[in-house]
Amino acid sequence: MQGFFHEHLRPLAGSAALHLALVGVLALAALRWSTSQPPVELAIEGYFVDGPVATRRLPDPRATPAPTAPAPAAAEVPPPQPVAEPPQERRTEDAAMAERAAEAARERKQVEERVVAEREAQQAKEQAAAQQRQAEAAERKRANEAELKRKVAEDSERKQAEAAEAKRKADEQAQAERDTKLRSEREAALQRALAEEEEGAAVARSGVVDEYRALLVQTIERNWMRPPSARAGLQCTLYVTQAPGGTVVDVKLGACNGDQAVRESITTAVYRASPLPAPRDPRAFERRLEIVFKPTE
Amino acid sequence: MLPVVRAFRTHVAAWLAAVALLLVAMPGQAQLRLDITQGVRDAVPIAVVPFGGQAEGAATDVAAVIANDLRMSGRFAPLERRDMVARPTSGGEIRFEDWRLLRADFIVIGRIEADAVSFELHNVRTGASLLNQRLPLGAGGQRATAHRIADLVFERLTGIPGAFSTRIAYVAVDGRPPAQRYRLIVADADGYNPRTILESREPIMSPAWSPDGQSLAYVSFESKVSAIYVQRLASGERRRVSARAGINGAPAWSPDGRKLAVTLSREGNLDIYTLELATQALTRVTSDEAIDTEPEWSRDGQSLYFTSDRAGSAQVYRVALGEARQAERITFTNSYNARPRLSPDGKELLLVTLDRGGYRIGVLDLQSRNLRVITNARQDESPSFAPNGALVIYATRDGSRGSLAIASADGLFQQRLSSDQGDVREPAWQPFAPRG
Repeated sequence: MQGFFHEHLRPLAGSAALHLALVGVLALAALRWSTSQPPVELAIEGYFVDGPVATRRLPDPRATPAPTAPAPAAAEVPPPQPVAEPPQERRTEDAAMAERAAEAARERKQVEERVVAEREAQQAKEQAAAQQRQAEAAERKRANEAELKRKVAEDSERKQAEAAEAKRKADEQAQAERDTKLRSEREAALQRALAEEEEGAAVARSGVVDEYRALLVQTIERNWMRPPSARAGLQCTLYVTQAPGGTVVDVKLGACNGDQAVRESITTAVYRASPLPAPRDPRAFERRLEIVFKPTE
Repeated sequence: MLPVVRAFRTHVAAWLAAVALLLVAMPGQAQLRLDITQGVRDAVPIAVVPFGGQAEGAATDVAAVIANDLRMSGRFAPLERRDMVARPTSGGEIRFEDWRLLRADFIVIGRIEADAVSFELHNVRTGASLLNQRLPLGAGGQRATAHRIADLVFERLTGIPGAFSTRIAYVAVDGRPPAQRYRLIVADADGYNPRTILESREPIMSPAWSPDGQSLAYVSFESKVSAIYVQRLASGERRRVSARAGINGAPAWSPDGRKLAVTLSREGNLDIYTLELATQALTRVTSDEAIDTEPEWSRDGQSLYFTSDRAGSAQVYRVALGEARQAERITFTNSYNARPRLSPDGKELLLVTLDRGGYRIGVLDLQSRNLRVITNARQDESPSFAPNGALVIYATRDGSRGSLAIASADGLFQQRLSSDQGDVREPAWQPFAPRG
């Protein structure tokens, strides 16, 4: 805030000077209206007086964040002071002494009156000045407060903007995080789904697949008239294609270390088992089978 | 913001690529793998359709001979003729779906011509033509040709050469003592075409085929005492090779056909000797106080298997030839194991074993020492391997009467051969004729 004051000293001072000048002019006009003495120095005096006041009165924005109600702008023209009475007329010589005495008394009275008037004027002037000071102070305060308010508003705006920006950034960040999280969640879900495909759903299904496999194995084993040359160590692969109804439509011999009789027997076994049994769950059906004949003994 | 978006896009792209790859890759992988570790030993159903060109009521029904051979092997179940809905004689006439309905896996068809027999073997299930040959009729006529066809079909479908064209030798005994008549007979493997090669009022025992299948060694008591003879089948020429004092018995041919292992009692006790046929050189192999008999050569000719009761009861031993070595006991499973005969591949020993109160035929795996019993009668004896090792012929006694029977070497199938030749014993299966 120190910075704030320094930064805005010049406009503040300018503003104060302007106000003082204005008030001065008004007071002067008032004085001229009541007395012809120009209280020129008042403006200068006010100027001197005002600086420290303005300084002293600078509110701490921290202490008063809420702007006070603006001071009424009415006090710009101070109310006119009571006007001094007009001087009395002089008397004759005879009454010269008396008159003189009276005049002296009158003069004295005049002086007194003038003094009183002057005092009163002075008082009025002082009062006006005080009023002006008050008004100025009020105005300054108002201006300060307005400025402060503006500053605070600016500050608040800036802060709001900053906050908005920060919020925007935070929001973006949060959004990005949400995106990332969502993505990773989706990813995880996909992984889970895949895993389930492989394991879970596949487990559910694998029961069916295993069952289907067992059914096929059983059927083919029952139909394999094993020749004596089919002994442990034999390994022959058939690639079998079946139609949806289980009818074997193609059998291709893959790698096989068996003799002609073995080859004949395994091919015959598959065709013999045709139509192959259907799985309990149609989804477990597989058109293409890889059948490995490898007797254990 | 931008890196996040970029990262997200990169990630999405990678993920999409992975999914796409998966989708592309999956059809290639989409097949179910099955492991078949067992099969059945059921007889393979086969239709042997009566051959074309065969005169009605002909002496030989070629298709019937083939079907009988295949049935005798235990590995085939020929279709009954009455179930045959068609009688195709050439491949083009076969309607495979008909034969599939009859649940035949294979079909044999053929035609008899003036000097040959043509035949075809088809896979009913696949429609594939497996054999299509024309066999000239030889000296054995249509029956021999039929056995030859059975051999070819058997080999094509089992991987094992058929042994239906080989013969068997056995001893038949007619009458009662003292008016008994002994005959040494050689017949086709299916028992047909029996031919007596020796007849005697005295016992004939232990016929043994020479490795080339052209000669038989046997024991004959025709001179009131035992003597070992060797007889060539083609010429009938015979030679007495051992007539030493005491018992001359149990001849067995060495793999090269130049020696016989025999059992002699010249030292007062039965022991194993080897006899070189050309020189009559005799070599003693065993000298145990117990009875050592029934020798059988190893395939390499370097050792002998034999039966001995040196451990109290009959068991099978092996002894190396050429130097004095301790005989090694081979059988331990049952209390009685005798008359060892080696399988054609030399890996198994056929023997008579006392199994659950009966004398039965067992097959001992020489490596694992596992003994499997392949017959189930009470008095089975004299087993002999077919030259293909797939079948075993043996004698089975029912009271005082013996008959011949065939079992598959795996023990899944036994069949008694019908005979009108009285008490039949000691069968021996002829080896394959040497090639070339």
